[in-house]
Amino acid sequence: MRYPFPVGKSDFIQGDEAIARAAILAGCRFYAGYPITPASEIFEAMALYMPLVDGVSIQMEDEIASIAAIIGASWAGAKAMTATSGPGFSLMQENLGYAVMTETPIVVVDVQRGGPSTGQPTLPAQGDIMQSIWGTHGDHMLIVLSPSTVQEAFDFTIRAFNLAEKYRTPVVLLTDAEIAHMRERVYIPKPEEIELIERKLPQNEEEAKLPFGDPHGDGVPPMPIFGKGYRTYVTGLTHDERGRPRTVEREVHERLIKRIFRKILDHKDEIISYDEFMLEDAEIAIVTTGIVSRSAVRAVKMLREKGVKAGLLKLNTIWPFDFDYIEELAERVRKIYVPEMNLGQLYHLVKEGANGKAEVELIAKIGGEVHTPMEIVERVVG
Amino acid sequence: MQIRLAGIGGQGVVLAGVILGEAAAIEGLNVLQTQDYSSASRGGHSIADVIISKEPIYDVMVTKADVLVALHQLGYDTVKDSLKEDGLLIIETDLVKPDRDYVGAPFTRIAEETTGLALTVNMVALGYLVAKTNVVKKESVEEAIRRRVPKGTEEINIKAFRAGYEEGLK
Repeated sequence: MRYPFPVGKSDFIQGDEAIARAAILAGCRFYAGYPITPASEIFEAMALYMPLVDGVSIQMEDEIASIAAIIGASWAGAKAMTATSGPGFSLMQENLGYAVMTETPIVVVDVQRGGPSTGQPTLPAQGDIMQSIWGTHGDHMLIVLSPSTVQEAFDFTIRAFNLAEKYRTPVVLLTDAEIAHMRERVYIPKPEEIELIERKLPQNEEEAKLPFGDPHGDGVPPMPIFGKGYRTYVTGLTHDERGRPRTVEREVHERLIKRIFRKILDHKDEIISYDEFMLEDAEIAIVTTGIVSRSAVRAVKMLREKGVKAGLLKLNTIWPFDFDYIEELAERVRKIYVPEMNLGQLYHLVKEGANGKAEVELIAKIGGEVHTPMEIVERVVG
Repeated sequence: MQIRLAGIGGQGVVLAGVILGEAAAIEGLNVLQTQDYSSASRGGHSIADVIISKEPIYDVMVTKADVLVALHQLGYDTVKDSLKEDGLLIIETDLVKPDRDYVGAPFTRIAEETTGLALTVNMVALGYLVAKTNVVKKESVEEAIRRRVPKGTEEINIKAFRAGYEEGLK
């Protein structure tokens, strides 16, 4: 296979471009989108690359159709992705729920910009954290990953596809305008250096008859592919193990939804990823996700120079959330600070996790600028 | 090293930043490049930040510039406060009237004289910057130019870059 970009070497590219290349290397062969700043460069790259790898990149009439198209492509056997920003992500919420309910592996990239509404199209924000987790209606479970560098944007995109395939679930890659448009040196691995996970397919007629069952006990049913020999029924209505609508029986609904939760939560140790920096002996913990983590690393170093024992916990997965680990952390530190580019979203998750064991303080910043390290330091030392 | 390039839309400030960043990446250095521009395609301010380091880079934009390259008064006025007190100011001497010590040359005129194209001013300024700072090797920039400029314009851009480099050695 020839790739339309160099592999096995470093390149100097934007976050959006890194996401597109990672998707191609992860095996994504269907992209549907609607242009929006600051995610358009992902679409531009996909439009360029897809024809060269025998894939499809299509512009839909809007974001609702874009996510609908990738759900359809996934059921036809393709790894599929769409990318958007806040306004488009809002439009995708109904079908994001449909993907949860139909257990469709897809990757949805949300490049956050200032909101609500059309807000600040060119500037970064982290105002979609809660929307990425809770934006669709009903009880639901999905996975949200959040990179802080262009390299992580690349690596986490590969991981998003792997998690989507492994757990038959939509995965949101939550990034922002800053990472999308910044250029950094990124290592683009050769295909043989990348571990890819493919969805489970039915091994026999019996498994194919139960596309929403649990034949392996891990909560993840094999996924029959349209056109590959089996009859399958896919619906957003509450359905039984065979996929047939059964909308009034309490037990059927509970069994389905609880399995969708279980297939993720039973594997949360594998799904949840974080990085720690100088946290072992820390008395002050800073908890971040995404772009702000970079300023927080610098802030921790500056605080250490001032004799403050500070450390950083950088969350790479923000959903499912490791409430237990935050409680452990809260037991061994004096105080937790949560700098984020919104008026308090991750803060509420951390506060719930801390469970009163340590004080949790929000360092909010909105308007389109990342916190400077000094702004974090000043809040900590007062 | 934190380098900030400032001008107006149409001067190719962001492309100059990208090429400088690419040259650093070619040399295996850690590098980050970001930009800030008004939505006007011509006329508004245009800023490109490049941070080059052997260490991991955590900053996402220039906080205290070691070098500021100003190609237009509007760009200069927008970001002049970000230059360190002992930082190096490089200006387009026909278009910027600075209020502190500086080095520079009439980059636009040099561009016109060398290539016949005022729009190669970004490459002239880049050559001058590289000669003055040695932040990356001349050869790395020329390789980066070949990779990043539109096909067919490589030689004209390299010619402009070399003219700026020579000027910077003076």
